[in-house]
Amino acid sequence: MTKVFTDGLSFAMPLLIMAVGAIYSEKSGVTNLAIEGFQGFGAFIGALLAVLLMNVMGEGSQAVIYLAMLGAAVGGGVYACLHALLCIKFRANQVISGVVVNILAVALTTFFTSAANTAINKTLSNKLILGVSKRFTVPVLSKIPAVGGFFTNMYPFELIIIVLVIFFWYLMYRTRFGMMLRACGENPQAVDAAGGDVEKTRWIAVIISGALSGIGGICFAYSLLANFSPSIYLGYGYLAIAAMIFGNWNINTTALVCLIFGLAKSGGYQLCIAMKLPSNYSDLFLMLPYVLTMLLLIFFSKKNHPPKAAGEPWDKGKR
Amino acid sequence: MSEYIVEMCHITKRFPGIVANDDVTIRIRRGEVYALLGENGAGKSTLMSMLFGMYEPDRGDILINGRKVTFHSSTDAAAENIGMVHQHFKLVDNYTIAENIVLGTEPMKKLLGLFPSVDMKKANEEISELSKRYGLEVNPTDRIEDVPVSVRQRVEILKMLYRKAEIMIFDEPTAVLTPQEIDFLLSIIDSLRKDGKTIILITHKMEEIKRIADRCAILRRGKLIDVRPVADTSIQEMANMMVGRQVNFKQDKKAASFGETILSVNHMTVKNEHHFDVVKDVTFEVRKGEIFAIAGVSGNGQTEIADAIAGLMKISSGTVTLDGKDMTDTSIRVRAQSGISYIPEDRQGTGVVMDFTLRDNLALRKYYREPFSGNGILNFEMFKGYADKLIERYDIRSGEGAKTFVRSMSGGNQQKAIVGREIEEHAKLIIFVQPTRGLDIGAIENIHSHILAERDRGAAILLISLELDEIMKLADTIGVIYSGRILKIAPADEMSSEDVGRYMMGVKEA
Repeated sequence: MTKVFTDGLSFAMPLLIMAVGAIYSEKSGVTNLAIEGFQGFGAFIGALLAVLLMNVMGEGSQAVIYLAMLGAAVGGGVYACLHALLCIKFRANQVISGVVVNILAVALTTFFTSAANTAINKTLSNKLILGVSKRFTVPVLSKIPAVGGFFTNMYPFELIIIVLVIFFWYLMYRTRFGMMLRACGENPQAVDAAGGDVEKTRWIAVIISGALSGIGGICFAYSLLANFSPSIYLGYGYLAIAAMIFGNWNINTTALVCLIFGLAKSGGYQLCIAMKLPSNYSDLFLMLPYVLTMLLLIFFSKKNHPPKAAGEPWDKGKR
Repeated sequence: MSEYIVEMCHITKRFPGIVANDDVTIRIRRGEVYALLGENGAGKSTLMSMLFGMYEPDRGDILINGRKVTFHSSTDAAAENIGMVHQHFKLVDNYTIAENIVLGTEPMKKLLGLFPSVDMKKANEEISELSKRYGLEVNPTDRIEDVPVSVRQRVEILKMLYRKAEIMIFDEPTAVLTPQEIDFLLSIIDSLRKDGKTIILITHKMEEIKRIADRCAILRRGKLIDVRPVADTSIQEMANMMVGRQVNFKQDKKAASFGETILSVNHMTVKNEHHFDVVKDVTFEVRKGEIFAIAGVSGNGQTEIADAIAGLMKISSGTVTLDGKDMTDTSIRVRAQSGISYIPEDRQGTGVVMDFTLRDNLALRKYYREPFSGNGILNFEMFKGYADKLIERYDIRSGEGAKTFVRSMSGGNQQKAIVGREIEEHAKLIIFVQPTRGLDIGAIENIHSHILAERDRGAAILLISLELDEIMKLADTIGVIYSGRILKIAPADEMSSEDVGRYMMGVKEA
């Protein structure tokens, strides 16, 4: 039972940081299906950095993990510029751009992963092997029955993500920039008339979206796989988008949805083990979050209010 | 200090294909109400958009208080204390009134003495105080999506006052208001003038200029025609200068002669997609040779009445009969073939297919029938001949005649095409929804004369319009709708526009 909470949280947190990234982009008025690609490319840059640094700092160094997270944020942010360029500068169809950016990320990272392996390790492999992240248990809190699982065997990145989410919540809902950003997604004309810069705000939002997705990607790489490979494109980016939609583009509710997704996933897996089913059945249970997604879609999508101007290119000169 | 607060000298602005402003020079005195009069596309809004920093002029200078300025954005203009109420309000629907007003200039506080954050409490207090001082009562914490149009306009005015604007530009401010709301707005403008503000009023309504403005500049096709003191200029003179020819205000309207009942709507209720009753228990009749007009403030259910009669929306209870036949649950095509023609409100979305040619659009009501098609094969010779006939008869102007894509035509000519196509069906009932919205005087005259001609032919006409002037001019019978109910039905000559306006506000007994 403890394990359900432990694994649930370690799955929910990277999902949440990606969902927050998606919220930033969409709230500023740029539809973002490119989260999957952002997380993959960001994670690749982070993993590459980790592999290079491990040669210098040693296999077991935990500092490498934090630097890899930083690298993933930068990588994701830089890669997101492509989506921003297409959607904001060239006013391309934002859905198409998102899909293209995703496909391109798979192709690029697959190619560069094997190229990097050939160059650094002199091996032919499509994996970048990462170190193992240490885990820690919070004293006292972890002793609470069941829920204590949240505080048992935590990854350090979970704490970092919690701090980041609080910071980006504050930025979105309590600052002048956040008010501007949300207005950009509802009525960019109002922002323009109020003296705001719609294009700049959207650029920043999409880059934030890429950086946060990159962090989510590298965290998944560490927690689920302990390596980077094209199998990182498991659809978690889309799951983050689904969480954003059920969360009604609101960070608080999205956090709750991510937690439910995480618990559904770990709960399903533990249920499979508890029932002593053969391991190939576990895939069936891993579908739980997606089945949940579809069910939630049926009940909640009617009441949702997506940002009104999302998907519409901003054209100042439009008459 | 210079005599003029704003000077725009020799301004020229080009857009691809058109010269929006051609060497226009205007000088505005401090504390006056200066009107800009012109038809749609005359260049009024473009000129003011340059003063507000939304565009930069290709040539010419802007001087504020005698000092030359260059505006790259509306922020630059705001720094010179210029504010603007746009025709389409620039408001964020799901923000509160206060949030909209302070957007970009929010009062700040330090959270935990450390983190800068927006101080909405202070903003709400400031807005509340400001709104009381100028008599523009609003509740700062209401959301924009929950308040009516007239309140949204107040929010826009407060936005300018909050930003300490001294020069206030109003772009067609009365287009969306009832007569009573117009009175209120004009009194606000008057008190702003007394407060020392300089007001620039963009409009195409001569009556308002007469009532409030000191001087009036007339623009036509991008050129400045004249600047006149309003007191010495008659409405007729203004209109002639605006249009460039003698304008006939009186439409030749023959006395109506009503025949038998064509359309009869009985206790009709219509629900919208949220299962909310938007039309409630509405009953009325339209007779042969009668123009029955429904007046009301936008969003009170009038469009839904038209959609329900035409078959675009389902009727949840009640009946609609056409010439004695029950139409309540029939398909759109059955209704169309039984004699209903429909000129919808959303002309580009519902009225035409934008990426079809004019020829194909004109045939949309006929393409499936002989002789336009036989055995499922379209006869394009027939299409072409028919289109040419209509283009001539209805004076539809376009770049390449029948093969012009409708998207590239002006709004007025798109509307003429729809009206022509529908009238040619010689229907028993013709429904016009907002038939002249956004059109210039020439096109309006054209459409109005067609509406009257159809009435005189013996069609029953249901006219739905937000323009009270249009209703007063054309209607034989007026029904006033408020919140989904028809509050009053009376012959047009028994109601003044003030009476209609009162019912539009929901007052039961005028």
